[in-house]
Amino acid sequence: MNETADGHDTPVDTDSGHEAGAAVPSSGDGHGIGSGPGRVLVAVYAVFALAAGSRAAVQIARQFDEAPLAYSLSAFAAVVYLLLAVALATGRRTLALVACGIELAGVLIVGTLSLADPAAFPKATVWSGFGSGYVFIPMVLPLIGLYWLSRRKQA
Amino acid sequence: MIDPLAIGLIVLALVIALVSLLTTALNKAMGNVLLVALGVLELGLLVQAGFLIAALVRGEGPAETATLIGYMLGTVVIPPVAAFWGVGERSRWGPAVIAVAGFAIPGMVGRMMQIWQGVA
Repeated sequence: MNETADGHDTPVDTDSGHEAGAAVPSSGDGHGIGSGPGRVLVAVYAVFALAAGSRAAVQIARQFDEAPLAYSLSAFAAVVYLLLAVALATGRRTLALVACGIELAGVLIVGTLSLADPAAFPKATVWSGFGSGYVFIPMVLPLIGLYWLSRRKQA
Repeated sequence: MIDPLAIGLIVLALVIALVSLLTTALNKAMGNVLLVALGVLELGLLVQAGFLIAALVRGEGPAETATLIGYMLGTVVIPPVAAFWGVGERSRWGPAVIAVAGFAIPGMVGRMMQIWQGVA
């Protein structure tokens, strides 16, 4: 576990100066999981946390009885996405790995169940149909996340 | 909801997304052009939010008011956060962050238009 300087809000590149930021692609800037392409992952996870979270909030507040399971799952997915965004942004690798695993399991299980037993999921969640309502990004995202985390370990 | 403004915002956001992707492809960091464009987009989104709030206060809102407000808040929050997060990354991945926001906004504005037309 490389817990790189948790308390600091600056990115993990300690050797390169702040002002001379020449756009050299991926020099030896540590192995921060929240920098470089990791920044993009954080952005995508943040957008999905916002989308799933606000959707779940509205649904739970207004019509929870219609589909308690689906709405609870939406809320749970939002929490996982938020956790991942924070874990990547702050360089918590173990937390990111665990959350990524939960995300992958979630989209696989919920995706399969939503097709096998549609009656149990009268209302869609982000993970229904393997994320078909969101151009399958929820299915691809955990794979990209795991790939990214494994790549950054080797670096 | 003003349809021409909404459509203009969708187009502008898509242009920003494409320029951002191009910048990433060319391996360049964030430039001022993208930041200014994001600022213009944010202004437009704020104007739209203002009109929406005014309409809701007048009682002209659709049935799905809560969802509409959720999307509205999301669209207003995303550009500044994306600018902050993208500027912090001085590599090709900075503009890629902006691209994510640029693709998220059209989806959200499009959903807002659908919700809005549900009432008319």
